[in-house]
Amino acid sequence: MSAGAPELLTGGDEALTIEAAGAEREITARSPMQLFWRRLRHDKVAMVALGFVLLIVFTAILAPLIVKVVGTPQPNITNADLTDDFGQPLGPRDGHPFGVDKLGRDVFSRTVYGSRVSLEVAFIATALIVLIGVTVGLVAGYYRGWADTLLTRSMDLLLAFPVLVLAIGIGVACSGRDGCAGGLIQPGLTVVIFVITLTTWPYMARIVRGQVLSLREKEFVEAAQSLGASDWRILFREILPNLVAPIIVYSTILIPQNILYEAALSFLGVGIDPSTPSWGAMLSDAASIFREAWWFMTFPGLALLLTVLAFNLVGDGLQDALNPRNTK
Amino acid sequence: MGTYIIRRLLYMVVVLLFVTALTFLIFYVLPSADPAALRAGRSPSPETLAAIREQLGLDKPLYEQFWLYVKGLVLHFDLGNSFVNNADVRELVLDRLPNTLFLISGAALPWFFTGALVGTISAIKRGSLLDRAAMGSALLAISAPVYFTGLVALYLFASDIGLFPLLPGAGSYQQADGFFAKIPTLILPWIILAAAFAAIYARLTRSNLLEVMSEDYVRTARAKGVKERRVIIRHGLRAAITPVVTVLGLDLGILVGGAILTETVFGIPGIGRLSFDAIERGDLATIQGTTLFLALAVVIMNLLVDILYAFLDPRVRY
Amino acid sequence: MTRSQLRLLLASVVAALALVVSACGGDDSDSGSSGSSGGGNAAQQETGAGKTGGVLKQLGGTDVDYLDPGHTYFTAGYQFAYATHRPLYSFKPDDAKDPVPDLAADKPQVSEDLKSVTVKIKPGVKFGPPVNREVTSKDVKYAFERFFSVNVGGQYPTYFSSIAGAPKTPTKGVKPISGIQTPDDQTIVFNLSRPEGVLISSALVMPITAPVPEEYAKEFDAKNPSTYNTHVVATGPYMVKNDAKGTLTGYQAGKSIELVRNPNWDKSTDYKPAYLDGIQATTNDSNASVAAQQVLTGSHLSLDANPPAAQLRDAVTNRKGQFVQLPGGGFRYFPLNTTIKPLDDVNVRRAIVAAFDRDAALKARGGKFTGDIPTHFLPPGIPGFEEAGGMAGPGFDFLKNPRGDMAVAAEYMKKAGFASGKYEGNEELLLVTGNVDPIKSQAEVAKAQLEKLGFKIQFRTVPQDAMYTEWCQVPKKQVAICGGAGWFKDFTDPQSMLDPTFKGANIFKEGGNNNLAQLDDPKIDAAMTKAAQLQGAERPKAWAEIDRMITEQAPAVPFDWDKTTIIWSKDVNGVGNPYYDALDFTFTSFK
Repeated sequence: MSAGAPELLTGGDEALTIEAAGAEREITARSPMQLFWRRLRHDKVAMVALGFVLLIVFTAILAPLIVKVVGTPQPNITNADLTDDFGQPLGPRDGHPFGVDKLGRDVFSRTVYGSRVSLEVAFIATALIVLIGVTVGLVAGYYRGWADTLLTRSMDLLLAFPVLVLAIGIGVACSGRDGCAGGLIQPGLTVVIFVITLTTWPYMARIVRGQVLSLREKEFVEAAQSLGASDWRILFREILPNLVAPIIVYSTILIPQNILYEAALSFLGVGIDPSTPSWGAMLSDAASIFREAWWFMTFPGLALLLTVLAFNLVGDGLQDALNPRNTK
Repeated sequence: MGTYIIRRLLYMVVVLLFVTALTFLIFYVLPSADPAALRAGRSPSPETLAAIREQLGLDKPLYEQFWLYVKGLVLHFDLGNSFVNNADVRELVLDRLPNTLFLISGAALPWFFTGALVGTISAIKRGSLLDRAAMGSALLAISAPVYFTGLVALYLFASDIGLFPLLPGAGSYQQADGFFAKIPTLILPWIILAAAFAAIYARLTRSNLLEVMSEDYVRTARAKGVKERRVIIRHGLRAAITPVVTVLGLDLGILVGGAILTETVFGIPGIGRLSFDAIERGDLATIQGTTLFLALAVVIMNLLVDILYAFLDPRVRY
Repeated sequence: MTRSQLRLLLASVVAALALVVSACGGDDSDSGSSGSSGGGNAAQQETGAGKTGGVLKQLGGTDVDYLDPGHTYFTAGYQFAYATHRPLYSFKPDDAKDPVPDLAADKPQVSEDLKSVTVKIKPGVKFGPPVNREVTSKDVKYAFERFFSVNVGGQYPTYFSSIAGAPKTPTKGVKPISGIQTPDDQTIVFNLSRPEGVLISSALVMPITAPVPEEYAKEFDAKNPSTYNTHVVATGPYMVKNDAKGTLTGYQAGKSIELVRNPNWDKSTDYKPAYLDGIQATTNDSNASVAAQQVLTGSHLSLDANPPAAQLRDAVTNRKGQFVQLPGGGFRYFPLNTTIKPLDDVNVRRAIVAAFDRDAALKARGGKFTGDIPTHFLPPGIPGFEEAGGMAGPGFDFLKNPRGDMAVAAEYMKKAGFASGKYEGNEELLLVTGNVDPIKSQAEVAKAQLEKLGFKIQFRTVPQDAMYTEWCQVPKKQVAICGGAGWFKDFTDPQSMLDPTFKGANIFKEGGNNNLAQLDDPKIDAAMTKAAQLQGAERPKAWAEIDRMITEQAPAVPFDWDKTTIIWSKDVNGVGNPYYDALDFTFTSFK
């Protein structure tokens, strides 16, 4: 997304008026889980996309093997012979199917390894966002009172702050020698994950809070309370299970979004080590020479596009499978 | 309603103050370019540096610097002086503002209407080939980052370097003089920026409309014999479009600072780019000025959107 | 720098100036500029056989640092300073070594005891609007005095610190300097507290000597920072467009600068032809490639800085008449901090230099058309270059192969005690660089080269402005390798190239240090002290020997003797000035 993560988030927010309890009201012979799987399996597009996602994941895991098999050099090997007298890179040729970049590094290797960076950051960040967002959202939505007010006000303030500025600022601030947070956050991918998590958890928290607010009024919660169940029990046994569906759906939106977010930050040069192969950083390097070196822009760009598209399709498929009424 | 607005305005001030304070703090930690060193030039002696630092008031404690800053801000709208750019921050910001506004407003109209239109049609003809094609391309557009599509567009269509030279390329915005001359230079950026957002809005409109259409009151209207088109437009769209409008408002607010990627690819000197460059160069004064400004944009748009929402949706009352 | 250094620096330039001041076709044995292919070098430029008239448009992405001649210190600012002001002395485009009188009427007169310098000023030179009166010696005196104030913030006070009464720290407000006297309107006398007359007279080329009218400027100089920068008044052939009050309407900070003819400039008092009617410079072009492309294919355009690689290639291969290459007068290098293990071992350093693919580092900056690969430190154009071996250098084996020689490197590592030929330790070396290209890319190359030898590198990018002032120049930060170091001339003198950068006595622990490698060799220091006093032909010889001694210690990896390429459109007769390495507006014309 050009304007950073929040674009899709504020949009998606409205689309997610999911009735989580809807699945529970249906009286069927099959369990909701089974129904869900059946619908998903029948969604051909989503299955293909899921296959592609798995392909990317395996590529990321097996990157070293792939590079070895294809025979291209490691992603960080610079080679001045592959640039011309003016420092311009040479294109696809024998031994370098995707060409090389300005420092003579092989684009194929870097594209393959780039999948690692993208997925690592996206998955970890998403996991952390879910963890923090759900916790905060639960507490704020269930307990209300000053906890809720404090949390919502802080979320509002955080949301008012220009996100990209905050992201870039933290990224640059933590790229100094010792990192920040007392060395806990070292320059590199950690910074990027930190930044993405910090600027995105409020959205998750807000959604969860909204869900919890409506859930706590439901009869089954009232029933549990009158039975004397403790708050913990209610939160974990009654409310949380009903949040699973929207959390999953939202996560599937988050992952591709975070992939794009990381790419955008890398494109802007924030956070990562310049030698780390990140698709966003490669596109940024390509921007100045893409007229002559089209390969340098094309392959990472396509990889990024296809990966995000696949995740989006899977996400759509999941959404449809979980809530057949809304979008189909 | 009146008290609500007043309350919101006060709240706005609090938010802005907080944003300023936070910026001050964060970027104090930033490895910024020491303004004294910048002014002192190459190889200054420690005495020179100390003297300059004192002159610039940099040796005062942080909270005092902050207080002076806020005072200057409130009393004179003075955003400080950028030593890196050697210019007044307020001038820098005001100089760039029209460019960013030009960019996003030019893109906003097409994206909103295209998005709403496509989304509506898709919702009406749901399940059809048209619907699937539309939603498919929307998804594609969302998945492609602006800097990639921008670069590809330039590679294909830029008049100076593209394969099919059609439209002015990167950097042409700055070269063009005058409002009307600048319009053709913005066509590519508008298309790119609008495409990404139109896609989101199309999806959003579609899902909202579908949901609204299955509501009871719409069913009632149909049962009453109201013509389908009227049903859609009067009842369905009205309700469905409201959240989309609010999202538009929010997006515009955010986009003032967030269009930085488009600005970078196409060489448009906007505020997003200014703030980014400032951060990269450790230009504390400009960072503070632009951040404050951007927060202001977001907060104002939020307020406007909320007021608008109150007008559009009769159920909402404060 | 400390007093003793200063003394040496000054004394050294004294000697250098012996060549300059007494130049009667003085022939030095070093080359005027490194000859390079195609478009020609400085000495061969046509100094404008074109027509008068026309407005040149210079495209660029860098703004001047300052228009105030008392404050500016960078190429961008100098280009405009030398077109709009008349310092006492300046340089013609075909000769960067011997200054010619500009505002001055004749060469400076240095007293026998070297403690006073007298300059006579040409009559009939007038300030442009809105001041409109004739320039007097008092205007030069005021220019000096304001330079030393905090309000103006002159950036090279050390060169003039020997003037009697010159402040040691920046003054609040402009204070008079007793050592500068103006016995009459055409005469200015500098009385010195040390016998450094020759240094001072050579330094009179710097923009500090551009006259400033006190009655007009003092209200601006009273502010801090001085606002004269937006109210500068001209004496040169051109001026920044201004209004009746003197406010520079033609200067939009960070956007553009417009120069128009100075109506009060009298051609008969000047050697500059000033063919152009005006110059419009944009300073906020964010896309260098596009700008360079436009310059090469368009009309009446020029570029403010080196073009990006693709356009450089185009110019060099296809457009021979559209560019000139000027020696940058400096070297770029990766200093190896000799106080950090294992870089304290000279053999380790030699191994690093031997293994280093310097060609790759140069390529990251644009390849061989942007510079030559050094074999020692004194660059072409500086006296002592030829004596030090010229392009071939002193011939050390670890500098022989610009692509690097792993075998030689391994040998040195073994000598240092690493039997495997590679580094076996666990230290992480901190490499700090700026976050923009080409510094970022060149530092990445450095990282790869060091890792080739088994070193572990901690790679950090910081804002470019902070890289020097907060990291590389601060010994406390323990930066092992600075990723973006370079050192360029202020004068054509070898001492100013080697003394601040490699003399042990010049290591400043608190900050502002320029001996980035922190080389501290008593033999070298002693040689420098001696050589500082020399004059005549002995001087470059002595400094060439010092250059050799420094190179032998391998305190750094020198990878670029910079060349500046200036490009312009086909219908432009571009003329570059090798003193400030930019297009000379006063000699350029249209065909």
